[in-house]
Amino acid sequence: MKFNAIRKAAMCVAIAGLGLGQSAQAAEPGITDTTIRIGLFSPLSGSGMAYGFDVVNAAKMYYDKVNKEGGIHGRKIELVVEDTRCNANDLVAAVKKLVEQDHVFLLNGGSCSAAVVAAKEYVERAKVPFLMLNASGDGALYPPSRYIYGAFSISQYAVGGSVVEFAVDHFKAKKIGYINHDDAYGGWNQTAAEFQAKRHDGVTLTVQSINPSINDVTAPMLKVRAANPDVLLLTTYARPAALIIKKAHELGWNKPIVLTVNGTADLKQLVENVGGAAALKNFYIQDVVAGLPSDPKMKWVYDMYKEYYPDLASKPGHPQSYMAYGLPPAMTVVQALKDAGPEPTREKVLAALQNFKLDTGVMAGPIEFTPTDHAAQKSAIYMKFDGENKELIPGIFKSAWTYTAGK
Amino acid sequence: MSFSDIWLFVQQGLLSGLVTGSVYALLAVAVVIVFKTTDVPNFAQGEIFMVGGYVALFMILVLDWHYALVIPVTLLVVALICALFQRVVMERVIASKGVGVQLVIATLGLAYVLKGAVRQTGLGDAPRSLPALIQPDTVLIGDAVLTHLDLMILFTAVAVMLALYFLFNHTRIGKAMRAVGMNPKAAQIVGVSLVRIRMMVWALAGLISAVSAILITPKILITPDIGHIAILAFAAAIVGGITSIPGAIVGGFIIGVAENLVGLFISTNAIVVAPFLAILIVLIVRPQGILGGKLQVKKV
Repeated sequence: MKFNAIRKAAMCVAIAGLGLGQSAQAAEPGITDTTIRIGLFSPLSGSGMAYGFDVVNAAKMYYDKVNKEGGIHGRKIELVVEDTRCNANDLVAAVKKLVEQDHVFLLNGGSCSAAVVAAKEYVERAKVPFLMLNASGDGALYPPSRYIYGAFSISQYAVGGSVVEFAVDHFKAKKIGYINHDDAYGGWNQTAAEFQAKRHDGVTLTVQSINPSINDVTAPMLKVRAANPDVLLLTTYARPAALIIKKAHELGWNKPIVLTVNGTADLKQLVENVGGAAALKNFYIQDVVAGLPSDPKMKWVYDMYKEYYPDLASKPGHPQSYMAYGLPPAMTVVQALKDAGPEPTREKVLAALQNFKLDTGVMAGPIEFTPTDHAAQKSAIYMKFDGENKELIPGIFKSAWTYTAGK
Repeated sequence: MSFSDIWLFVQQGLLSGLVTGSVYALLAVAVVIVFKTTDVPNFAQGEIFMVGGYVALFMILVLDWHYALVIPVTLLVVALICALFQRVVMERVIASKGVGVQLVIATLGLAYVLKGAVRQTGLGDAPRSLPALIQPDTVLIGDAVLTHLDLMILFTAVAVMLALYFLFNHTRIGKAMRAVGMNPKAAQIVGVSLVRIRMMVWALAGLISAVSAILITPKILITPDIGHIAILAFAAAIVGGITSIPGAIVGGFIIGVAENLVGLFISTNAIVVAPFLAILIVLIVRPQGILGGKLQVKKV
């Protein structure tokens, strides 16, 4: 009798436990026995479309490839795609919709930093893992948030550090002219640029900060020229960069100019905007991928794009410059889900991301996360660009700046 | 910084400032003529300018037209858009006893419509330039370097200003425009059609904006957000005197030069602040603007 009572009690506990287990699994949003729902978003239209359209396409084709290969622990990836137009309001609205209406398991999106940073508070409140696409999103990464991972292309800090390293290493530059934006974006890359310059004896940085909406760049260009630097580094967006390159050419500047990845979204348009290839005689661009599109290491990326989007690939301007940047975030999401095991939860995915390293083969450096650094990628490659052809400069140039709490 | 650097800064800053300032001046004139005749600050001024650039760009890139055709058609299209807006929208607001605020909101609406329309064309994804109208060779003036395009911008802008002077002082239409600006009721009594004149003023503002866009786009590039340039036009108009056409011209040149000199001798961060600094100084020292005439008290 007593034995039976104990057995019944034990069975009740076991059944209750099973029930609890089931409800815990059922309570995990976006997960079923056969699917994992992911919210994918970026600018797909509007003036920021060049930053996100093909990046999303790249992520989509990778997720599709994973599904064709059987999914993750037997679950297929289901995407809910939103257009955020490079706009903070649109992005926050899309994130809320994805979390509250579509009940996605995790968020994977964002190509514009300011827009991405605007979602930080909501994402932390909702406790949803958020892996950016190609936004640098430094404002959401430093100080690190438990839920947010980004800078899969490169962070703004790393942009500044890497380009100074390149100038010192490749041009043996001692005096460096540096034009950045006078906003948070510019402040971040300047911080790391100054840090990197101090690591080399006798290297000085002459910085001119400009507003992104500047019309006349005579003043910053004349002041940089008066400092007589060995090289001019530009970390501005495409429009101010084109104005400065054009003005430099008009003023007879013949020293090297290096444009960071912030301004290289549309190189064909850049050539037109600077008045032709004559202004690009001594011109270099930064990129964050492992090699040129013709490089065997990168060939599979472009072949895959052609296979998935034959119509788009036949159009001029596609794939867009940043297309390949969509793969590493998708690869990271897939790897983190695999690492989270056959019964993934958001907490397990976050735990998997805490100490994470993945060599994607697509970017210049590996994707690396630590508990104190959620910025994925800190290296860049450089190419000489004459308006038509790109010539790879050997080497990978890494930023040395690291985040220190309280600074 | 050596003396030769300072001397170069002064020369280059002044000359480059006059070039961009000449375009600010033209846009300021467009603001002033609309304000004088309708009492409405046109907050779509920047977008009208932007549309001028994109209309020209569309004809060059998509239709593959020659500049000889692109320029007159652009001027016509933008003037027509402005005239139609005044005739169809603004006149209806006026007819329904709309107050100034409603008219201003109508111009804001136009700004959004134009920006949205440009984005729909697919041309607004990246900063764009118009092909240069002339060879990009440079000339030395003192120690300063200007391009042939810079000189063309400056001379064309001055030519437009002279043409406007002629229009307002030596033609019946110009005099009628001035009359409507001074006293619309009196002008109406002597037979001037207010509706027609206001429509013509808006068309003229569109024409000036289109000229400015064609001139400056190869130099500063356009995006759908380039309408912020109108802030500089308003600054120029306020500095010169919001009801004075010569004042708007002087104001435009002052703003263009001030941007450069502030950037060169104070900080490049301060370039965007320079126009507002100029407004502050003018409002403190001479509230009616440099050529704004005597202050008047309106009896109500």
